[in-house]
Amino acid sequence: MGLSAINKYSKAKKVGEGTYAVVFLGKQVQTGRDIAIKEIKTGQFKDGLDMSAIREVKYLQELMHINVIELVDVFSAEGNLNLVLEFLPADLEMIIKDREILFSPADVKSWLLMTLRGVHHCHRNFILHRDLKPNNLLLAPDGQLKIADFGLARSLGAPNEDLTSNVVTRWYRAPELLFGAKHYTEAVDLWAIGIIFAELMLRVPYLPGSDDLNQIDVTFQALGTPTEDNWPNVSSLPGYNDLKIYPEPSRQELRKRFIAATESALDLMSGLLQLNPAKRWDTEQALLSNYFGKELPVPTKPENLPKLTKKE
Amino acid sequence: MADVEERQKDMCPICKTDRYLSPDMKFLVNPECYHKMCESCVDRIYSLGPAPCPYPNCGKTLRKNRFKLQIFDDILVEKEIDIRNRILSIYNKIQDDFDDLQSYNSYLEEVEEMIFNLMNGIDIVNTETKLKQYKEENLQKIDLNNNNREKEFEDFKKREEFEKNLKIQKLQLERQIEIEEKQLNELAKKEILNKLTTSNDINQTISQVKASVLKKSSARRKQLKEIMTSLQNSNNPQQEQHQESSSSSIPFTPFNGDRELKQNFNKLSNYYDPFIDELKLKKDYIAAGWKSELVYERILNEAFIGIGCFIQDEKKNSILLSS
Repeated sequence: MGLSAINKYSKAKKVGEGTYAVVFLGKQVQTGRDIAIKEIKTGQFKDGLDMSAIREVKYLQELMHINVIELVDVFSAEGNLNLVLEFLPADLEMIIKDREILFSPADVKSWLLMTLRGVHHCHRNFILHRDLKPNNLLLAPDGQLKIADFGLARSLGAPNEDLTSNVVTRWYRAPELLFGAKHYTEAVDLWAIGIIFAELMLRVPYLPGSDDLNQIDVTFQALGTPTEDNWPNVSSLPGYNDLKIYPEPSRQELRKRFIAATESALDLMSGLLQLNPAKRWDTEQALLSNYFGKELPVPTKPENLPKLTKKE
Repeated sequence: MADVEERQKDMCPICKTDRYLSPDMKFLVNPECYHKMCESCVDRIYSLGPAPCPYPNCGKTLRKNRFKLQIFDDILVEKEIDIRNRILSIYNKIQDDFDDLQSYNSYLEEVEEMIFNLMNGIDIVNTETKLKQYKEENLQKIDLNNNNREKEFEDFKKREEFEKNLKIQKLQLERQIEIEEKQLNELAKKEILNKLTTSNDINQTISQVKASVLKKSSARRKQLKEIMTSLQNSNNPQQEQHQESSSSSIPFTPFNGDRELKQNFNKLSNYYDPFIDELKLKKDYIAAGWKSELVYERILNEAFIGIGCFIQDEKKNSILLSS
């Protein structure tokens, strides 16, 4: 590919720089389509490419779905690896933080629906995202939500393979990860979606722990401390010790915390926020719930969803 | 005596701190019992979770997240406003929902009766069950009304914004016209003087210059008029949009039509597999949500995932799509 690939895309301006990549805005020369080019820094790593770059390329190449970010092309130039990605100007975190924007229940439903569809696609291909948070849910100009940042993603390997529990941004980390489980499942992504759902309704992070220990406390204060009764064998997980015991919140307490939520919204949220991963809903269960199927209002069409008011 | 009362009003009854010592003290109340205490007491007592109210003979269990700032000086007013808000978010019918004024009035009467009962502790159990029953029976209607109310508010805000922008535009234009007119007048004067030195017919020259000035300023006036009319007609800029969104042609499906219900294999209920059987018994596996069914599901899926896919066909289709 070499030179010809470079000429296919134009770089306009630098928009961001991370530890292992620089992101440029650009255009696909032939079609005029807006794209983002992620240039992976290769020089400084002795052992070759950064792990997350490899993961990103590996999984994005396999996934093709309207709610997953599209990897348009990969090429190397001047010894650097370049990922050509769909250009997505906003993310859900920016929308949540923009106080000028009012959400209707239909808007929240629409965003959650698109997230679940995207994650459903990942899971049916046995890929765990492991870093779902509003910041990684990008929004296209036509309103479609796209799951991005597959730097922590992995597919499931041998049934007895150890997985690291040090994944997912702290506030969105499922209880089995907080306890240091090594054989977790897709359920960790569903927990994160549940927390995002709560955040969309509250407009502030739902369980903002200040450090890893505090996160355990905050999580169980809100949702109750798990016991051997509601979560068999939980005490065999390495992190399960020295816990303060909090009661499980009643339905009424949840109603009061989420005033705007309807009963079926609360059903879905508590399904996604089941402490025991074995009881937690999967994407199919969530998508088939009454919240999406039976209850009004119908989700807002993507093109009518609220957009950012301020431009930087 | 009055002095003592005054001092007590500004003192936290729990820790006895008063406003004199900590001027930015805030009083919070909990809707369970409406006993007031200062912010630092709430932090101290409730940061570890639910605890009983420190007032003697109260005994209600309170939670930190329910505490709120006391807005009204009179605690009874505060309580009534809370109850009213709660009831009205459920009993949210409007007059259009009723056939005649009589039934609307009796509905209002009923609502006020409930608020009064809750406020004064009369028949609380019955009233609460009535409220709950009504809520369950009218869940959809309540949501709809609340949504409508929100939407109306949004529309109102949008309209306000729109009108504000127009008004600003109008003001700017008016100012511009004023300035330009002044400049034009001066220019005209100069031009008349200039021309008078060369031409003979005084009246004709003056009228010529005046006509050209008028032409220039009339263009601005036209623009102003347009803004004025759109300001007057701006009562409902959102109407068209609403009609559009209410008609959806495609029925909603949760998976967007993208769901595989047919699998290329049948799973057995049991497999002879000593390796997996051993893992099945491990406690830390079970606790982490690991299930042997999920493992079999995945292994079988991965084995058969390509069956039924014809890459040649897909390539052809994708070329068609992209072109």
